Amino acid sequence: MPRRDTKLRRTGVSRRTALMGMSAGLASLAMPRLGRAADDTIRIGFPTPLTGPFAAEARDQVKCAELAVKLVNDKGGVAGRKVELLVRDDKLNAGEAATRTLELIEKDKVHAVVGALSSAVQLAVNEVTRARSVIYVSISQSDTINEAKDFSKYTFHEALNPHMTTGAVARQTMKKGMKVAHLVADYAYGHEMLRGFKRAQGTIGAETVGEILHPFGAADYSTFMPRLMSLRPDVLCISNFGRDQANAIKQAVDFGIKQQMKIVVPVILHNQRLAVGPDVFEGVVGGANYYWGLETQNKTAAEFNAAFRAANGGAIPTDYGAYGYSGVGSLLQAMQAAGGTDTDKVIAALEALKYDLTKGPQQYRKCDHQSVQSVLVLESKKKSAMANDNDLFAIVASDAGTEDLLRSCSELGHPT
Amino acid sequence: MTVQSTDEAPPLPHVQRLFAVLADHRVLVSIVALALLPWLLPSKALAVNVLIYGVVVMGYNLLFGYTGLLSFGHAAFFGTGAYLAGIAIGRWGLPWFAAVPLAVACSTILGAVIGTISTRTRGIYFSMVTLALAQLVYYVALQASSFTGGENGLRGFTVDHINLLGVQLNFLDPLNKYYVLMAFAAVAIWVQSRILNSPFGAVIEAIRENEQRARACGYDVERCKLIVFMLSGAISAIGGCMSALHLSIVPLDILHYQTSGMIVMMVLLGGARSFFGPFIGAASFLILEDVVSLWTPHWQIVVGAIFVAFVLFLPKGIWGTFLDVLPIARERR
Repeated sequence: MPRRDTKLRRTGVSRRTALMGMSAGLASLAMPRLGRAADDTIRIGFPTPLTGPFAAEARDQVKCAELAVKLVNDKGGVAGRKVELLVRDDKLNAGEAATRTLELIEKDKVHAVVGALSSAVQLAVNEVTRARSVIYVSISQSDTINEAKDFSKYTFHEALNPHMTTGAVARQTMKKGMKVAHLVADYAYGHEMLRGFKRAQGTIGAETVGEILHPFGAADYSTFMPRLMSLRPDVLCISNFGRDQANAIKQAVDFGIKQQMKIVVPVILHNQRLAVGPDVFEGVVGGANYYWGLETQNKTAAEFNAAFRAANGGAIPTDYGAYGYSGVGSLLQAMQAAGGTDTDKVIAALEALKYDLTKGPQQYRKCDHQSVQSVLVLESKKKSAMANDNDLFAIVASDAGTEDLLRSCSELGHPT
Repeated sequence: MTVQSTDEAPPLPHVQRLFAVLADHRVLVSIVALALLPWLLPSKALAVNVLIYGVVVMGYNLLFGYTGLLSFGHAAFFGTGAYLAGIAIGRWGLPWFAAVPLAVACSTILGAVIGTISTRTRGIYFSMVTLALAQLVYYVALQASSFTGGENGLRGFTVDHINLLGVQLNFLDPLNKYYVLMAFAAVAIWVQSRILNSPFGAVIEAIRENEQRARACGYDVERCKLIVFMLSGAISAIGGCMSALHLSIVPLDILHYQTSGMIVMMVLLGGARSFFGPFIGAASFLILEDVVSLWTPHWQIVVGAIFVAFVLFLPKGIWGTFLDVLPIARERR
């Protein structure tokens, strides 16, 4: 009864067998839906890159965000409702982050999203939350997210932005007539930092003598160093993040660059300084949103440190960790003020909010939802000057949080 | 699978006769299976991803599984489809139903370009050439940032409503979105099935089995390879368009060689050379990643170990192995 030629019969068999197991295959796909919290709980989604080059910063953010939630829950929650933090690994990938955020909104029905740690990732999360009218508090540095094109009335930017940190660092380290060279990671973060530095140099009157771009995640910087040295600058600005920062500074020191010029970075990272050690970072100056050593001069910082130590076996909070605390904390305060999770009321509450969670007074500017806050400028201590293992930096300046630190609303393209 | 035993087929038991009927309607059955997906998986976003990657991997399977050409640059078509759909909607203001065919057409042209260059080589050289050309596309997207958004990815083309014959559909609703995107997948599945059932489908399998012999039979092997490369790129580009519509962003990572690697992993996991294998592969990979990363930040160890186990013990992938086991079971009965 062969009704087909042999060739088609062969595919017929594989096709038939292909379908034989379809039911079994689908059955194996079926799995119990993961449990969802009781409906009166306030759920906050927290996408962060637990895997990838920024994992150390992400883990600190999770610890601090959990602390903010715990402290509120200990006091009876927000408007009598318990708060739950749903942490998701965004793998430092914008597509993955968008998918995770969709899951958080569609399946877990979160009331707000806080998090993300790179420019591309937070812009992806911003796009998803904006379309679905979900509040998003971003805790990663970005200039783009404040500009009118990407602005969303649902999005608040708790982190510092490149304009703020580069400005503070430049004012501290540069003088009129100085020569400045730049080593920049070739991606959005690096470009925004470079733009910030050059703008600040313009006001100060410092001259750019060279810009060298390096690929994101580069392990070897040795080819760049002789070129940088030949430029004979007074200041070298290294604008990169995470392990790149540690690797670049390490190799700069190996080349003896520090004897020739001052090394400054837009953001000096607690974890990278720990990873590399005091000898390499000695004398490097950079901006920061937070440093635990602030506790000697600031009551809020002392309280925050104490709470963190109590919850984490005596450990101290880091700079990027503090973002997790203030991002989630400010959102919960606004929800408390709004008496619940109604989106419009919470937005109004966030716009009106004056909060002081880690380092002094902060508030969200109305036009672009950027958090107006102080910027610290830190200098890495040398080994002999360190009182203990955690005594990493000296605070050389703390620019008070005023709108002068920010670009104006009209410059960002917002209606004024 | 010898051909001699076909003269007298033994009568099939009922269940197997049923499956034989189902096998004759593989397009329909595949679509029905996919239609059930949103209810079987932990989240709708995951189900959409299985759909998207299923289509991309299916397109890739035409090239790798059926023609035997191991390309390492398939992300180029996935990404180009996504970027062009996004740019057409967001920048040129085209409606989505015009943007998608445009994106697929352009990706086919890209397939012709990359295919013309790469199919002149074979083996590892073919893989390397496709990888290099795909990286070229990646760097174009990175550098042309005024067009593509560069590192930050393409944004600003959110499709929130879809007009279907006068009915306004809320495209942000996960289920609506799933079924609209499933329509794209259905077209891709049908096209793939038609290609494989045609004489051309037989020729590409002949090329995979024995290129010399196919050439000796009088087939223009080079031209067939080029055509299959273009078709494969076009089908993968449909997946790209679906991804753009789904996420409302196009991340630059979509063009990265890691995406190409993921596509190869998915096809190996599911089983190359099988019609439904790509969907099984995409589903297994994405579910593993999704579920394990909820449990532990060390999900890569778990997923990696499972993948290694599959490559070692089930070289034909989940679906391929399943298909192998079945006829034996039949003979035993």
